[in-house]
Amino acid sequence: MSVIAPKFRLSYFIKSILDNAFWAITLLTLIGLPFVQVILFYLELPVIGGRLLDPYLALTILADPSRQIPLLQSFIQTDFFKIAVFPGFGFAALLAAGTIFVERKMLAKLQLRVGPFYCGKIEGILQLMSDGIKLLTKEIIIPAKADKPIFWAAPVLFVATAAAFVSLIPAAGGGWVVADVEVGLIAVFAIIGFFPVITVLSSWSANSKFPFIGGIRALHQMVSFEIPLILSVLGVVILTGTLNLTEIAESQDPFWWIIFLPIGAIVFFIAMLAELERIPFDLPEAESEIVAGWLTEFSGMMYGLVQLGSYLKLYAFAGLFVVLFLGGWSGPNIWPPFPEEIIEKGIELGPVTAHFPGLPLLDQQMLNDVLWYVIKVVGVIFFILLPRGVFPRVRIDLLLHIGWYKLIGLAFVNIFIALGLLYAGVLGPEGIL
Amino acid sequence: MTAQLPPGLHMEKVDERIMTLNVGPQHPGSGHMRLIVKIDGDFIVSCDPDPGYVHRGEEKMAEYRNYITNIPHLERPVIHDSCNVLYPYCLGVEELLGVEVPERAKYLRVIASELNRCVYTQYWLAIYGIFLGHSTMFMWPAGDRELFIDMLEKMTGARVTHAYFVPGGIRNDVPANFEDMLLRRVDYFEKRIKEYAAIFYDNPILISRTTDAGVLSREDAIRLGTTGSTLRASGVDFDLRKKEKYDAYGELDVHSNVLKAGDSYARSKIPWLDMLESCNIIREAVRKMPKSGSVRVKLKPNPKGGDDEVYKRVESGRGSLGCYIVSRSKPEPYRVKMSVGSFRNLICLPYLLKGEKLGNMPAVYWSLNYWPVEADR
Amino acid sequence: MGTATGIIKALNSGIKHLAVKRFTLRYPEQKLKFVGDGYQFDPATGVGIAGYKGRHMLFHDHCTGCQLCSIACEGVAEAIAMVKVQEDWKQNKKAIMPQIDYGKCVFCGLCVDACPFYALYMTNDYELSSYSKEALIYTPAQLQVKPDVQQDAELVFDDPRGATHG
Repeated sequence: MSVIAPKFRLSYFIKSILDNAFWAITLLTLIGLPFVQVILFYLELPVIGGRLLDPYLALTILADPSRQIPLLQSFIQTDFFKIAVFPGFGFAALLAAGTIFVERKMLAKLQLRVGPFYCGKIEGILQLMSDGIKLLTKEIIIPAKADKPIFWAAPVLFVATAAAFVSLIPAAGGGWVVADVEVGLIAVFAIIGFFPVITVLSSWSANSKFPFIGGIRALHQMVSFEIPLILSVLGVVILTGTLNLTEIAESQDPFWWIIFLPIGAIVFFIAMLAELERIPFDLPEAESEIVAGWLTEFSGMMYGLVQLGSYLKLYAFAGLFVVLFLGGWSGPNIWPPFPEEIIEKGIELGPVTAHFPGLPLLDQQMLNDVLWYVIKVVGVIFFILLPRGVFPRVRIDLLLHIGWYKLIGLAFVNIFIALGLLYAGVLGPEGIL
Repeated sequence: MTAQLPPGLHMEKVDERIMTLNVGPQHPGSGHMRLIVKIDGDFIVSCDPDPGYVHRGEEKMAEYRNYITNIPHLERPVIHDSCNVLYPYCLGVEELLGVEVPERAKYLRVIASELNRCVYTQYWLAIYGIFLGHSTMFMWPAGDRELFIDMLEKMTGARVTHAYFVPGGIRNDVPANFEDMLLRRVDYFEKRIKEYAAIFYDNPILISRTTDAGVLSREDAIRLGTTGSTLRASGVDFDLRKKEKYDAYGELDVHSNVLKAGDSYARSKIPWLDMLESCNIIREAVRKMPKSGSVRVKLKPNPKGGDDEVYKRVESGRGSLGCYIVSRSKPEPYRVKMSVGSFRNLICLPYLLKGEKLGNMPAVYWSLNYWPVEADR
Repeated sequence: MGTATGIIKALNSGIKHLAVKRFTLRYPEQKLKFVGDGYQFDPATGVGIAGYKGRHMLFHDHCTGCQLCSIACEGVAEAIAMVKVQEDWKQNKKAIMPQIDYGKCVFCGLCVDACPFYALYMTNDYELSSYSKEALIYTPAQLQVKPDVQQDAELVFDDPRGATHG
């Protein structure tokens, strides 16, 4: 692109500025204004202090910070906040990114080496960001004979399904879940049942031998471990009497279910490792035998999307384990309460006292719930990451043996224990505990 | 197609169920070799190994260089086990030229050979771990072999491809307080490799994966001519260090490890046990080594052997490594033939993999203690 | 039950190793220390002196231009060629000295073994990368310079939590 620059003339310069201005104004009025009108027509604007939010009020709020609090509070109650920030995509993506980094560092420490080190001043913290940027800038290569529509759609479907899974997990008491479904648990299993389909679609559309083998193995693995997954949870459902995930979490008030149903927890954990394709069950991605399994032909951001979906799934499964067996968000109240004086008297900044009506934004109970939830999820994720450094890969026939014989047997034992506890009157709706 | 085929060509019908998989040189699970694997579902119908991707003509190049200049290129088939690759060559040339190696050189050669054996076995074990999906088993051996590579670098001046053995002895004596450093590292190394038991050799997943995978019976092992750890894992007690007693091995107490199972698990365990044995050999050699003395015999410039031929063999990390040298009264040898353990063990591979599951292929293939570069020379 | 104990022992070993110190040598901030000054050869005894086989060092006041190093390298890598130098030495009437092409040299040290005049040694310098192949050919004047190396990291065994490079 080496063009000899034309000579500078003031008239040309002014002409170019006017041209840009003309086009900017035209596009703004012809496309931008109708767009904004349509959005404002459909968007539900909050009511603040008895007035509907309009641009004048919004601009006044910018000038007077004390009036921002009601705006923020109403924003937090909207659906958009729940989907995008907490407990939906933003929170899950943050935890997923943290998981990837911690996994690399923890595995490195276990293997007596340093993990990411140079990116970011402190022990390579910005490594993930640089990996993301690298994946964004890489060329996406589609094999010539691949089935193009399905090949393009597969990673997007994968992330979408993982996000749907994340949306069902409650993160704090009082309805902090993106989709509050009465039969939340069955919805979770319906979504999990969709993953093998996506895997097979992506491996079949790549039209190559190694993804083909990987896809078939993934199908075998995921399908055979779904049954123990569901059966192991039946014990909890029998004792709780409800399928709503929030209620299951709240029903574990004095005792966590893992104390009474440890076998179920272990079966769920092993089946979870298999569904997530983590070592020791990472046959579909077995590097030394079939290059990268069903992920072989993905490159660039498609690979990035698949990894993102994978780790969102990991967070969601860990969250599900916490909700079902570890008591959700219950824990002693250690979050400090919001200081009373700021609510009543405001903050003194020199001669001015700033009042913030509407504080606190989030109440103490909810923050405490979130803290305990995050601590438990981090603990479960640690135990999911640990086998990666310790175990080799299982072979496909041993895997199917475990999934169809041993785990289903153990799950049934677990159900019998649950039924025994229920009919002995120890637990359950009429129990003594 | 009923037309007559030209002589020498034959047509075979391809079964529709069979898929040909090219586990080729560009594959994370194959090393520098190609395996043409025909599979029927999950079972291997036939496996055709295709070595030759790293052939560099070592034996032909040896005919154009004299006995001393042959050293740097002849050690390259296995770069980190280079002392063991040069060992039979040096022993053979010494017999051709009629020189006697000094005592201290013999012990130092033994120490270098054992260090190289440990270094090679750690690398092999690292790749075995990664073939099975165990990334920790890749990092730990690769890190622990640093201890001995550091030692070899102090001894010989280079981390790999040491060019340390020459006909007549070794090229340089060891630095001061060498024994002290060596013994400290040997102690720490032994402590580290004992940790592998908990995480690898007693790991139930590994045991379930490699037991009864590629079983080589005792008769078959002898009939197919296998050597090294593959042979000892099938119940045959054959170790050249005990049988031929070359150099200082006659004065050392070598105990060879034998397991009877003959499956991949036994084949993967024997080199680890051999490493523990090497630590003992090194300690004993350091104790018995003469504290001073010359380490090299000065040869005439441009040494010539008579009209003679000699065959010497040595127990390297992979098995018996033999060198057959023919000389015709010239400074260059007339013919150097290297007979390597990897190539001899390769003959077992199609035999063992027939009817085996595809998941067992990396476990069986690499457990034969196979080094592709050496097989190609 | 053997399976369960095996799994728990493996996990236990994994968790124990989280407390062991990292073994990595942080190159290039840390560089390994070598014994001595580099590989040398004593023609009087016919035995070498242990040292690292790095870049060569040529002593101009000993080199006689006998070409034995070049002849020794002919069978190995053909990396040494004799070039005319503009220096005036009493022992070097032909005024030729070796130039070494590090694009071809395999660092075997047979040239050091071949020199009978204590003129060619090897040093501890191994960082020889350059941006062009021509820059890898070191002239006799470049080979005269003693390399300035900062190597001081060693293996440390005293820590009970594992060995480190420090």
